[in-house]
Amino acid sequence: MQLSMTAAETARRVSEGELRPLETVDVFMKTAREREPNLHALLAVLEERAGHAAERLDASLSRGEGPGPLSGVPVVLDDGICVRGTPTTCASRMLEGWIAPYDSAASEMLDSSGAIICAKGNMDEFSIGCSTETSAFGATANPCDPGRVPGGSAGGCAAAVAAGYAPLALACDTGGSLLQPASYCGVYGLRPTYGLVSRWGVAALAPSMDQLGILSRTVEDAALALSVISGHDPRDAMSSPGDRPDYMAAVAVPDGKDARRPLAGRRIATVAEMRGGSDLAGACREALDRTLAMLAEAGAELVEVHLPLSFNHGLACYQVLLAAEASSSLARFDGVRHGLSAEADSLNSLYLGTRGKGFGREVKRVAAAGTYILGSDRYEDCYLRASNVRRRIVGELLDALAGCDLIALPTTPTTAFRRGEFDGDYFGMSLSLSFTVQASLAGLPALSFNAAGAGELPAGVQLIAPRRGEAGLLAAAAAIERVRASRDEAGERRSER
Amino acid sequence: MRHVYTPVIGLEIHVQLATESKLFCPCSTDYIGAEPNTNVCPVCLGLPGALPTLNARAVELAVRAAMGLSCEIHDGTIFHRKHYFYADLPKAYQVSQYDRPLADRGELYISGDGGSPKRIGITRLHLEEDAGKLVHSAADGRLEGARESYADFNRGGVPLAEIVSDPDIGSPREAREYVSALRRLVRYLGVSDGDMDRGSMRVDANVSVVKSNADTGEILYRGDRAEIKNMNSLRSVERALEYEIRRQRATLESGGTLERETRHWNDGEGVTTSMRSKEAALDYRCLPDPDLGPIEVSREMLDAIRSSLPEMPWEREARFIGDYSLSEVDAAVLVETPALADYYERCVRSGASPLRASNWVRTEVLRVLNERGVGIEECPVRPEELGLLVSMLDEGRASTTVAKEIFGLMVDRGLSLQEATDRCGAHGGLSQEDLELAAKSVLDANPDVLAEIMGGRDLKGKKRKFICGLVMKETRGRATPGAVEDVIARFLEGME
Ligand SMILES: [Zn+2]
Repeated sequence: MQLSMTAAETARRVSEGELRPLETVDVFMKTAREREPNLHALLAVLEERAGHAAERLDASLSRGEGPGPLSGVPVVLDDGICVRGTPTTCASRMLEGWIAPYDSAASEMLDSSGAIICAKGNMDEFSIGCSTETSAFGATANPCDPGRVPGGSAGGCAAAVAAGYAPLALACDTGGSLLQPASYCGVYGLRPTYGLVSRWGVAALAPSMDQLGILSRTVEDAALALSVISGHDPRDAMSSPGDRPDYMAAVAVPDGKDARRPLAGRRIATVAEMRGGSDLAGACREALDRTLAMLAEAGAELVEVHLPLSFNHGLACYQVLLAAEASSSLARFDGVRHGLSAEADSLNSLYLGTRGKGFGREVKRVAAAGTYILGSDRYEDCYLRASNVRRRIVGELLDALAGCDLIALPTTPTTAFRRGEFDGDYFGMSLSLSFTVQASLAGLPALSFNAAGAGELPAGVQLIAPRRGEAGLLAAAAAIERVRASRDEAGERRSER
Repeated sequence: MRHVYTPVIGLEIHVQLATESKLFCPCSTDYIGAEPNTNVCPVCLGLPGALPTLNARAVELAVRAAMGLSCEIHDGTIFHRKHYFYADLPKAYQVSQYDRPLADRGELYISGDGGSPKRIGITRLHLEEDAGKLVHSAADGRLEGARESYADFNRGGVPLAEIVSDPDIGSPREAREYVSALRRLVRYLGVSDGDMDRGSMRVDANVSVVKSNADTGEILYRGDRAEIKNMNSLRSVERALEYEIRRQRATLESGGTLERETRHWNDGEGVTTSMRSKEAALDYRCLPDPDLGPIEVSREMLDAIRSSLPEMPWEREARFIGDYSLSEVDAAVLVETPALADYYERCVRSGASPLRASNWVRTEVLRVLNERGVGIEECPVRPEELGLLVSMLDEGRASTTVAKEIFGLMVDRGLSLQEATDRCGAHGGLSQEDLELAAKSVLDANPDVLAEIMGGRDLKGKKRKFICGLVMKETRGRATPGAVEDVIARFLEGME
């Protein structure tokens, strides 16, 4: 597999004039043209926009203007992120042909960092689903095994990064919709702290959990992208002010006495409730054990925490809140202002026609469930109860994180499942989010990376940190990356002998 | 057994807050006359990905209103999404407040039916966003039967304070009093322009009737309440409630029962008609809005707002009655808007007697404003100049007729007081010679009256006054009473 350069390397070469922005766009377009017929990772290729952006960047560099941190780096955005003047469909017939009239905060920040937005990634319709199979415009294949799903909802973005179209993609994570595809496709997935990255211009699913995140092939690229997209945005009332640490410093190679044991003094916890679980696939358990060994090698102290509520009730709690908020977020698609509008002779038939035709089965199921849950006679029993459980889960997680620096656990209970395996079995499929909803409910940052054995299907392991603990996540992942690299080197030396 | 039927009325009033921008986005709130869908943005159109940010000024104005109503104001209350589908509601939910309003438990005093002040409890005051407007092509402007409908979102997202009264209002007249007291209050506080005809203040009423035994007072039946919508003026509030109470009473008298329902007031036909029954009532599926944090109302903010509150209208009214010896009715007219009350006080401060200034403002000034259809801010006569003019009357330097002529010149020609007075001439252009001629001709024409005065038979001075009146008439009101009295006195002295 011919992988494109990392974002950091691309930006360095473009800044130093070794590589022209148009060339990086060409590589993207060429790779996409070759792989798309088999993968279908993208919903729109923004060839013209990317070309213009590359030319503008070229001109500004030749005028001697300072390069941005992502100069010339091709980026894919999931199709729920608005980019002015380009189609934004959320993978739904409802928004087919809708051209976003404004820019998301993310696309603004990418543009000004020199990054080149090249394409919109496929996703589950309105982010509802775990396999990208609910996309109204066709499913995406997993680049590691075309018979398997890339995960979802951000399956298109994860596949595009894994297949080497681009070193970076941004997608929205609600309950693992970015972490789970990262795990299935074998790439890094970073879900930042709720409020660290602006949601302005990102189509909502469950606003209390939605968080824009990063998919990349190296931990350094994740840190680089986070430096660009994080920060306070007054247009997002949930965006939190505050200083940001230097994320690039967190992934830099440590020097001096720390070099061999960079995680010395760090306490990293496993979750008691998860380790004994019979639902955990062998490959995922092995991925965790492999990771724990590397963390220990890097100097971390391994401990154990108990999170009974989070792991016994997290998923159910999440499902209730997700449906309730999603039904509200999806209510605005009524055929009056934007997107699909059915032929109708009355307002009611306009609603029924538009929503009947525009939404797919899963979206309707969740919207109907949410509408049921919010009914005034069920509100207390369903929504309010789930909100209270959520509060207790948050408390449980924060208590646990008071006694350790990071929590380590598999990102998903299994590796990528086969396409069509859960057709119509929403509940079965949603079990793939069993280990990711906790961070979402608590607004905590989580970072997933591939820890599968050589030649195996990707299997992600995630680290969860306290709020705004991204630097700690990145540092730990960087330490693991270096341990793995030194082992690989040692292995190569052995095989050479 | 004799029965009495007692109406029970509570009002829900939406007051449009006088902010420059909308509740959750920077769009202008100035939608009257604006080209449709020009004051809009991704937020107020509910585009995918758009997020609300709370307008701090709207919170401040709502807090001002809550203070004027002596409410308890709560820090950290939240917004809820109230869901229903309608073409004028872009997100298919209205951002409003549900079980935790910004303020509650307040009061407003009105003039009750018994003649004395009556306390009306305020249940709650909360912030919410307005919906857009639909324009239908049907002849009657309603949705039913329209072939085409257009949605204009210029008004969508404009901040409203919803003020809910306790069911303390006992009659249509009290309802009218309550609405006008509230309107006066929001104008004083600068919270809203309170214009009902422009929709800045919209009144819905909850009305029910209680049937009881006239002799024992025992309650025999409590009717379910009807919610009345579409009352667009003070007059229509009163008329709609009168009609609805009659209708409910007639229903009970004929043995019928009253169901909870929503009714529409038809101003042209003077009737209310049923819009939807309780069974069809909407379930708003309220959800705490996850895009908005709690509304922060800090102690410092409350202190700052409290110290910026103006004199309340009832305080000003009491002061006008006490300081200026005005009647209650006159004081009420003058304090209706802060601008009018200010105008009056500036007039008095420049030297006019309070009573005469009150008469002039309430009659001459308001007449001019009515004729021109403008507010007091656009009155062509500055209050200081009116004050000087009134003091000319006070001091006998001008007759009423001349003063009115001067006022007329100032209004019609835009002249200053000095210019208008010059145009009319000193003493209204009447020379001393003219005045003496007029006096002489009156005395000549009334020798018997003159004889009575000269003969000492005019003990109460009535004849003398009669003569002065005739002289005034002879000068066509241009002479001041003082000048006429002077000239008559001199003539009489000369005859002795
Ligand atoms: Zn707007």
